Amino acid sequence: MNTPLFSASLVAFALTLYVLLDGFDLGVGCLLLFERHERVRDHMMDSITPTWDGNETWLVMAAVVLFAAFPISYGVLLPALYLPVVVMLLALGVRGVCFEFRTQIQDLRGYWDIVFAVGSAIAALMQGMILGAMLQGIDVKGNAFGGRVTDFATPYSFLCGVTVLCAYAILGAGWLRYKGTAILHSFSLRAITTLIPIFVLMFGTASVLSLRVQPAIVAVWHQDSLWLGTLVAIMLFNCLWLLSAGRSRSDFYPFLSALVLVAAGVVGLMVIIFPNIVPFRIALWDAASSSLSQIFVLVGACAVIPVVLGYSFFAYWVFRGKTPREGWDA
Amino acid sequence: MNLDPGILARTQFAFTVTFHIIFPTMSIGLAGFLAIVEGLWLKTKDEIYLQVYRFWLNIFAMGFGIGVVTGIVLSFEFGLGFARFAQFAGPAIGPLIAYEVLTAFFLEAGFLGIMLFGMHRVGKNLHFISTCMVALGTLISASWILSANSWMQTPDGVQMKDGKLVVINWWHVIHNPSWLYRLPHMIAAAYLTASFQMEAAEGFWEKQSSSPAPYYWLIVPDQKEQRNRFALGTPYLGSIWLAHSIHGRGEGLKNTPRELQPRMAMVFYGFRVMYCIAIVMFGVACAGLWLRWKRRLFTTPWFLRVLVLMTPSGIFATLGGWYLAETGRQPWVIFGMLRTVDAVSPVPAKTLLSTLIAFVCLYTLFMTAFLIFIGRIIKRGPQEIGTQVETFSSLKHAFRLGVLDKKTLESTGGAR
Repeated sequence: MNTPLFSASLVAFALTLYVLLDGFDLGVGCLLLFERHERVRDHMMDSITPTWDGNETWLVMAAVVLFAAFPISYGVLLPALYLPVVVMLLALGVRGVCFEFRTQIQDLRGYWDIVFAVGSAIAALMQGMILGAMLQGIDVKGNAFGGRVTDFATPYSFLCGVTVLCAYAILGAGWLRYKGTAILHSFSLRAITTLIPIFVLMFGTASVLSLRVQPAIVAVWHQDSLWLGTLVAIMLFNCLWLLSAGRSRSDFYPFLSALVLVAAGVVGLMVIIFPNIVPFRIALWDAASSSLSQIFVLVGACAVIPVVLGYSFFAYWVFRGKTPREGWDA
Repeated sequence: MNLDPGILARTQFAFTVTFHIIFPTMSIGLAGFLAIVEGLWLKTKDEIYLQVYRFWLNIFAMGFGIGVVTGIVLSFEFGLGFARFAQFAGPAIGPLIAYEVLTAFFLEAGFLGIMLFGMHRVGKNLHFISTCMVALGTLISASWILSANSWMQTPDGVQMKDGKLVVINWWHVIHNPSWLYRLPHMIAAAYLTASFQMEAAEGFWEKQSSSPAPYYWLIVPDQKEQRNRFALGTPYLGSIWLAHSIHGRGEGLKNTPRELQPRMAMVFYGFRVMYCIAIVMFGVACAGLWLRWKRRLFTTPWFLRVLVLMTPSGIFATLGGWYLAETGRQPWVIFGMLRTVDAVSPVPAKTLLSTLIAFVCLYTLFMTAFLIFIGRIIKRGPQEIGTQVETFSSLKHAFRLGVLDKKTLESTGGAR
């Protein structure tokens, strides 16, 4: 049985859910910077407070399954990405505690909101830079990271960072349209129509540059051109559709479209990286732990994840519909 | 300056774990307390319990939030600081932590939102179930993490094949020799930490506030009930449990080559700190029981002051215990299998130092804000209750107080 492949699918699944779910959380956080009225910012925050914690847990899930099933790659990637990962963790931490601080220490709410927004933006940027650093290649010696800790910081990885930041902000804007009351509609619409052109520009530049930075990506394009072409087409279609989101009668479709846009991007990246787990250096079968460890994790995951998805969905369902303007306690 | 990456990686790990463990320790205890209080509210329909619940829920939410974000750090930190440990032990420890995420983190996170914000969106019973789920999640989480850590102390169920660690029996990995001794100890510590903090908050609030006393009289007994149950049974037994295992290793120390011996000072003081605090706690618990019996518990100022002083006692005892466990295992990171010096990541010392400083600064900020926040909440007291209480007739209150008093006495009698 090809257990490493199943474990890799589990990592991919958790990571995709993380990007989609925490993506809109972080996006809403970034957008907080652009809203001047405190009442409206409260409303934006209220839309994400009940569920952010569960969203972030998918990141822990992805990291831990990587640790359990692919310890070799876990031990190579984290030292290689040491700085962006630590900065991301610190930013996620600051942002996480702000949820409570801003409600409890009300006289400083304006400052907490700035801290929250900047923390969200830095976390998103770092996630993009981690992606960029992986795509441009990681120096591996034996089974360990062989490069320098500053290798990640290149203009290319920064460009990837900004692209991911834009993508998250688009997700966040879609979420605000979906969950926010009418006071957020024009804000969301303005955000989407501003962000889509920037995103397309960044994404296009990053894609072209990646062909120069990493020859292996050219090879993947030759091999899987149909797959990647379809995914890029899906992304472009959704970008075009989102530009006319103002005409959409439904408040849900813009968010759905943003989800599809980002999901297509994530799947594309996985097509590029597969079958490696340390991009272009270590294949997932060479980094896998012994099969009993894999099976143990997979059995647990198969048994428990449906339940997890069930009550996670339930949690969203409890807070369904528009976020109340006066908050959840009203 | 010559910096040793090994020392720095260990310091960073120790610091982040130390800081993190404070918050889950509190939230395990508080979640259990909240579940009991909400259950009492559902059973007695007494609004007072709901107000108590709301009051502690704020503090719980804050502590839980910090616990979550500092916990995420740890799931990466195995690889950040100890890449070779991660690569070596991943096959055994990774799945345990994966199960922790699957069975505990998601459970807590999924129901936390409902617990904090869902009171008006779901029925009372469903809300109570959510609280219980969060409390259950904290306990499951403690079980897995203790299993993983105990495996590092007493590895079992694995074999070396071509220099790689291969698990041959999962049951032995999880149910390793020291796990069942250490798990009840940690959970008891968590309940103790939380209950001492709660008592201190009560004592503190009592001094600060002039809100109507009936509230105070009413809430402390049920909290007392809980404290007595845990305080009487556990510090004693728990210490004997661990003391027993320490004794076992102490004897073996002479046979250990000098370079493989742990740093005795840390082990020694870690144990003494934990043990002394446990004895003091036991004393305070006894004094509390005696005063309660004499019906002077809530009117004895010196005792309330002692309780305020005891606030961090649970935390220090927990930390002392963990330092004992962690330094006692040195120089091994996995006892008898992998030495700590061989486990460190290829990250330069300067980088480690700068991130360590960043962690220290940020966590100090968290702690400061957390303390300010708790101070404010406690000073403010459960204000709603003041107005609520005054709407009740005082006669009714006096009556209810009597009932509760009797019940409390019965239950403490049972504990004795």
